Amino acid sequence: MGKILAATTVAISSLCLAPALRAETLVVNSYGGPYEAIIRRAIIEPFEQQTGIDVVYDAVGAASQDYAKIKATKGRPGFDVAVMTASQSLQGCQDGVLERLDPTAIPNLRYVAPKLAKSAGPCGAVHELQYMSLLYRTDKMESPPRSWSALASPELNGRIVLPTFQNIMALYLVEIFATMNGGDLTGNLDPGFKAMSDVARQSIGFEQSSAILESYIKDGTVWAMPFWNGRAQLLVDSGLPVDYVRPIEGTIPLIATLNIPVAAEHKASARKFIDFFLEKTSQEAWVSAYKVGSARTDINVPDDVRARQITTEADLESLLLPDLSVVAARLREWGEQWEREVVAHQE
Amino acid sequence: MTILALDLPGPRRSPRQGLVPAFGLSPAGLMLVFFFALPMGMMIGTSFHDPSSGALSFQAYERFLNDGLTLKGFWRTAIMSCLVAVAATALAYPLAYFLARSKSRFRIIVFALALAPELAGVVLRTYGWLIILEDRGFINDIFLHWGLIDEPLRLSKNLFAVVVGLTHVVLPFAILSLTTSIQGIDENLERAAQMLGANRLSVIRMILVPLSVPGIVSALLLSFTMAASAYATPALLGGAGFKVLATMISEQVLFYVDWSFAAVMANALLVLMLVVSYAGLNFETRLRDRRGVKRGG
Amino acid sequence: MNRLISFSFWFSLVLVLAFITLPLLVVVAASLSPTADVTFRPSAWTLRWYQDLISQRWLAPFALSVKIAIAVSLISGIIGTLAAYIVAFERIPGGSAVMAALLSPLSVPQIVKGVAIVLFLSVLGLQPLLGTPSLIAAHCVLALPFVIRMAATAIANFDGNLDRAGQVLGASRWQRAQYILLPAIKPGVLSGMTFAFIISFNNIPLSVFLVRPGDTTLPITVINYLEYSLDPVLAAVNVASMIFILFVILAFEKFGGFSAQLHGGSK
Repeated sequence: MGKILAATTVAISSLCLAPALRAETLVVNSYGGPYEAIIRRAIIEPFEQQTGIDVVYDAVGAASQDYAKIKATKGRPGFDVAVMTASQSLQGCQDGVLERLDPTAIPNLRYVAPKLAKSAGPCGAVHELQYMSLLYRTDKMESPPRSWSALASPELNGRIVLPTFQNIMALYLVEIFATMNGGDLTGNLDPGFKAMSDVARQSIGFEQSSAILESYIKDGTVWAMPFWNGRAQLLVDSGLPVDYVRPIEGTIPLIATLNIPVAAEHKASARKFIDFFLEKTSQEAWVSAYKVGSARTDINVPDDVRARQITTEADLESLLLPDLSVVAARLREWGEQWEREVVAHQE
Repeated sequence: MTILALDLPGPRRSPRQGLVPAFGLSPAGLMLVFFFALPMGMMIGTSFHDPSSGALSFQAYERFLNDGLTLKGFWRTAIMSCLVAVAATALAYPLAYFLARSKSRFRIIVFALALAPELAGVVLRTYGWLIILEDRGFINDIFLHWGLIDEPLRLSKNLFAVVVGLTHVVLPFAILSLTTSIQGIDENLERAAQMLGANRLSVIRMILVPLSVPGIVSALLLSFTMAASAYATPALLGGAGFKVLATMISEQVLFYVDWSFAAVMANALLVLMLVVSYAGLNFETRLRDRRGVKRGG
Repeated sequence: MNRLISFSFWFSLVLVLAFITLPLLVVVAASLSPTADVTFRPSAWTLRWYQDLISQRWLAPFALSVKIAIAVSLISGIIGTLAAYIVAFERIPGGSAVMAALLSPLSVPQIVKGVAIVLFLSVLGLQPLLGTPSLIAAHCVLALPFVIRMAATAIANFDGNLDRAGQVLGASRWQRAQYILLPAIKPGVLSGMTFAFIISFNNIPLSVFLVRPGDTTLPITVINYLEYSLDPVLAAVNVASMIFILFVILAFEKFGGFSAQLHGGSK
């Protein structure tokens, strides 16, 4: 008995001694997997070298989960910078849990394309742009698909997979189909849902995780699916017989942002990190490393990268940009419509 | 003997007053109050508040009752949990009997195997079942290979897969629960019956099963409770259309960030559990009373 | 008839055991898979995914999970047995109500418990408690019902006459508890503590909200990895965890054991 008590006391007291953090630290929360290796190499290590700040990398949680954590802890989640999206940036400003970002403290904010900055609001610093592409197997399809309606074509019956509603690609697809069928991006989505329910009949199911979605096209069960172009490019680079296109009807971008929770511990370092990420050189490094589009339109990248990414004003013009605050307001309503009209029809 | 917590035949002593009970219960009590009761109370409180204005309102409850999807999810949860409870208890029974009665050396191995799933953690087991049941999975692969079927059988992303997966998850607990209960049944009763000429079937029917009813009820309740609050297995094996309360709550918490609605669903789940537990315990008590009267009378 | 029953019994036993072990075997096979996909090709099995495990990214969360699980096991073991003693042995008035209250956490989904704790701590301004301290406390709340239930069952199976004999021979309550009751219920308590260890080590839904950067448990690291990449390393991690837990159970067994509990408790 005495031994057990002693053991417990030792255990508890040693656990209560929290490790002391060094002087200049920064906790960055972002994604894991292939993303982590790339961001470390292209951004974090150069940042550490330039500023001497010690970065702790936190790979827990997707964007919406991070936001839930920020909100639950009233802006004090334990990390200083989070990679989320424009939707969470707007939401966080409204809920008062994200810090307003000031161009005087973060000079490079001025270089972010105005359209993108506006869509993310004052609490988000746009640093990256991916668009939803149509990924397909080059060895299984007769010819590369050109339109989103290919997903509903007989050739692809039982050969596509769709994301769940918790993956924002689902809603974006509905919005695009709406514009293709007489509705619009956020006002009237009913034609979009109808088109989606036809597409759903062709799908083998719905998956949430990108990794599982990937696995279907990797093993050939699926021949085409919507996918973010950054990860699509990674698949192409890995040697798989796949390729991706930006269909003629246009596409919607995923606007990724850097955010600072309002009660974060190391805000000064966080601001320096954001400023660093928005440097011309960092943006160029990031675009080349992660195969994504940039927030700045004045960068220099090789032509082959430019051909497939969003890097210029003209590129931005071609994108469909739904009003994200309307999306946030109607998200729940559309979520239920998705369950009723799309998921129900897949079975 | 029952392990249903509400009535433990312990040593016969008069109830003790005094500081000792308070002292003994306070660590557990304090921990539960601070890390369970108070947070849950706060959570229940949020269900009565409007998410944007913070004012007192039943709006979230109205939504829950009027929304076809949430009600469907509620019934789906109840039905799934019932199926799991029955399946787990039925599968656990032979194993529990073996563990309770057998004297062989293999008992330890069987015991370890029975508990082994618990070692592996829920995600692992669920992925294991996914690999076995999915369209491109183990079973379909073999059947297609042998030419028994032309197209893959729909064994995953539906109720069947979830029930299989959840039964697997709760089985160790059902086994433990039933084992303890059967151990409490005097072996001599079975032997006596056999000596008096009853065959195995009668022994099972008239002695074993009736006496193990408390254990059966306990296993059913435990399995039901664990299945109803399960999240990972229905999420992974049920597919997008198979929403139960736990997955819907998670969606509200992590995706829609609407905690008052999540709290309402959590309360609904709690009510479901309490109703089922109460009904089960009531049934068990009534059975015991009836038996008691027979024996004493 | 008897032989038929006998045969059905053994047959169903084998079936149930097969049911239990099947997915585990599949995962072990997956962890040996030669390619980055999860496949079943025995001819080309490789151990290279296990080599990947010897790296900081897996060892650090593993160490944390072990630390937390040990603390949870000890804490819930002690306070749970204490509580079970009071309710089951001392038979206080209102005992069944107290027991129901002690077991109530079982009815709430873990994700709800997790969010509730985070919200509660934040309202009190106690966010720094997130991470290891709140993980330990939350896992204890999760494990307590199991520990209490098992300890209470062991106490219920305890032969009261032994205690009465002690009383007759003049032992104090404390002495009786220490020298008579405790050794008798040790197997039950230890199995409860083992369960607490396993539950804490493998826990995910409760922990998702409570982890802090740098303070992440092994299972959470696994599912985060799963979000981005589906490769056999995960199966290897899980198999390695299973083997580890097996050792833990064997250790507990040496220390004082389940097999005793299978005999019915008192030695």
